[in-house]
Amino acid sequence: MDWIPVVLALGVLGVVGLIFGILLEVADKKLAVEVDPRISKVGEALGGANCGACGYAGCAALAEAIVSGEAKPNACPAANMAAISEALGITVEEGEKMVARVICQGHNGVAKERYKYDGYTSCATAASMAGGPKECAYACIGLGDCMRVCSFGAISMNNGIASIDPNVCVACGNCEKACPRSAIRIIPAETKVLVLCRNKDIGRVARAACMKACIGCGRCVKECKYGAIAVEDGYARIDPEKCTRCGACAKVCPCGCIIDYSVTAEDKAE
Amino acid sequence: MVGVTMFACIFAFLLHHIPHHIERQVLCLPKYSFKGGVHPLHSQHEGKLPTRNAPIRDFVSDSVVIPMSMHLGAPSKPCVSKGDHVKIGQLIGEPVGGLGLPVHASISGEVTAVEPRLITGAGPVMCVCIQNDFADEWVDGIQGYGNVETVDPALIVPAIKAAGICGMGGASFPAHVKLTLPEGKTCDTIILNGAECETFLTADYRLMIEEPRRVVDGLRAEMRALGVKRGVIAIEDNKMEAIESMRKAAAGREGVEIAVLRTKYPQGGEKQLIHAVTGRQVPSGKLPIEVHTIVTNVATAAAIADAVIDGKPLISRITTVTGKVVNPSNLRVRIGTVVADMIGECGGYSEEAAKIVMGGGMTGVCTANADIPIAKANGGIVVYNEKDAKSVDEEPCIRCARCVQACPMGLDPYKLKHLCDAGNLEGAKANHVMDCILCGCCSYACPSRRWLTAAFKNTKDAIAAAARRK
Repeated sequence: MDWIPVVLALGVLGVVGLIFGILLEVADKKLAVEVDPRISKVGEALGGANCGACGYAGCAALAEAIVSGEAKPNACPAANMAAISEALGITVEEGEKMVARVICQGHNGVAKERYKYDGYTSCATAASMAGGPKECAYACIGLGDCMRVCSFGAISMNNGIASIDPNVCVACGNCEKACPRSAIRIIPAETKVLVLCRNKDIGRVARAACMKACIGCGRCVKECKYGAIAVEDGYARIDPEKCTRCGACAKVCPCGCIIDYSVTAEDKAE
Repeated sequence: MVGVTMFACIFAFLLHHIPHHIERQVLCLPKYSFKGGVHPLHSQHEGKLPTRNAPIRDFVSDSVVIPMSMHLGAPSKPCVSKGDHVKIGQLIGEPVGGLGLPVHASISGEVTAVEPRLITGAGPVMCVCIQNDFADEWVDGIQGYGNVETVDPALIVPAIKAAGICGMGGASFPAHVKLTLPEGKTCDTIILNGAECETFLTADYRLMIEEPRRVVDGLRAEMRALGVKRGVIAIEDNKMEAIESMRKAAAGREGVEIAVLRTKYPQGGEKQLIHAVTGRQVPSGKLPIEVHTIVTNVATAAAIADAVIDGKPLISRITTVTGKVVNPSNLRVRIGTVVADMIGECGGYSEEAAKIVMGGGMTGVCTANADIPIAKANGGIVVYNEKDAKSVDEEPCIRCARCVQACPMGLDPYKLKHLCDAGNLEGAKANHVMDCILCGCCSYACPSRRWLTAAFKNTKDAIAAAARRK
């Protein structure tokens, strides 16, 4: 066997490889683009779900925007603020802890069904069909549009309505945007006493549509010692500034539509 | 061999020497058509057999519920109140905004309520309910122009507007807006859509057979209003009787011709129809006027004829009631007649009804119950039984591309569906979801029974809502 061509080929390839290797190494050093090391640090501290709720294309884009000063350092509710503070060398104030809440308790059997819907699994489609499958025009439809847009897996469908795990929720707000009924609100996690109904109809109509509808009776208004509750537009609203979270209103509500989260099992786990 | 050659020679001779329009009909060569499309219920005559030979029957109900929002555009403002006595043709809803239309009382009698009622759409809308006194009294001052050929063309569009006419084929676009040319645009062809490609429906078919003169008069009125020289009445080739009847009525009328279309769904889609008849393609995101064409439905033309000749507002329409009813019929009903009354007139349900669909089988919308009133654009009511109404769970896409073949707009529905399901509005827009006409061909063709059209409708609505917010 003639070894010379083999050795020659290996030799040529080796030399060519060496030359290009050196060229690449030189190019890497000479033509290197200065990347702010803070961007990667900030990027690591962000939520990492690429949910897009901040308005940027993803976490990397937001990290760049934060470092360049275009976005606020606390633009991502899911971020580790301490790490961002460290990376930027400033003190980032952690925004108030927010959480998404479903303002409806119209479970199957509680809210009256208008018709049986068996079409495309989408709340938006169902809502556009003859006023929606539930009699109440403000109710959670329960087909999971919010669940599908949640990048953090905080939402599940429970007996006909959405249920959000406050311990997982980072309040990115995607579910709020996706809900065709606007039945999800981003509110401070500290707001523990909530009226979980926004039915604007008069009491008789609201009650006929749902067993847990606020009928605007005003018992909570009378019970509240701090003047924090008012009935407007047909349903009770609690002013979080005045509310002391005593929970007295929740006890007297005849329809069970005021919930005191500080005594429910959900938040005790915190 | 000689025979084949001779036959070919004769064929070629005929092709060259027979006028174009006769050639298409006599030789059964490919008729006017478009790319894509499907043949729903083809073996069952598109589901039209039960009603295609049923003559139009007048039906006046005891009461009507007239929605203030039967057209595209802002809902009209009710201008009567409970207890008022109204006569036929009396204005009960005033137009609001640029796309607004007036609403007229369709029966005479007492207004029993002015309140929000549920219709087919998203939520309750304001409705005027009238109890019929069967006096059939018309309001004073109904005065027409007598003849569409002699009326001053400038008076035609105002008469159409005053009559509250919207597109009666389903889209419910105000007719006077369509017949007002935007600045700098010209129109050389008006096409009357008599394709009625939608399954089950025969309302337009019966109209063309029984009242062809109204249709031609309406077309002439439209042509004269815009000074258009060419008017084409386009009819599918499964409606030979209608073609004959329209041909007789159109004989001797200036510039009116009949085009025979191949029977295929969605032949009556505006863009498909324009392409089939004129060979022109409407650019993406543009209106037909961009290619100098206007398309209106035959029922709209008939209503226009009434408005111009007699000065009568739009108070009734022909609607097909079919499916699981005892006596499927084509009824001429007053606007606002409740579905339950119409089904009662047709002998009631023949089987237990599981679903009532307003419109045809492909583009119709389900109703919540039978208390829904008929609007200006509702051409049909189809009652389904439990078996037919059942929907099937969707399976994963197998990339067979049947939806791509079926799409009359040349889109890639399988790809769009992934983008829409992922909520990628930008991606869906880049793949032309806004060009989707929601005909339902892709969902019909899909062997995995995927909810394609529903997903596209959602996405189109979401994109439109996002554009409004900006």
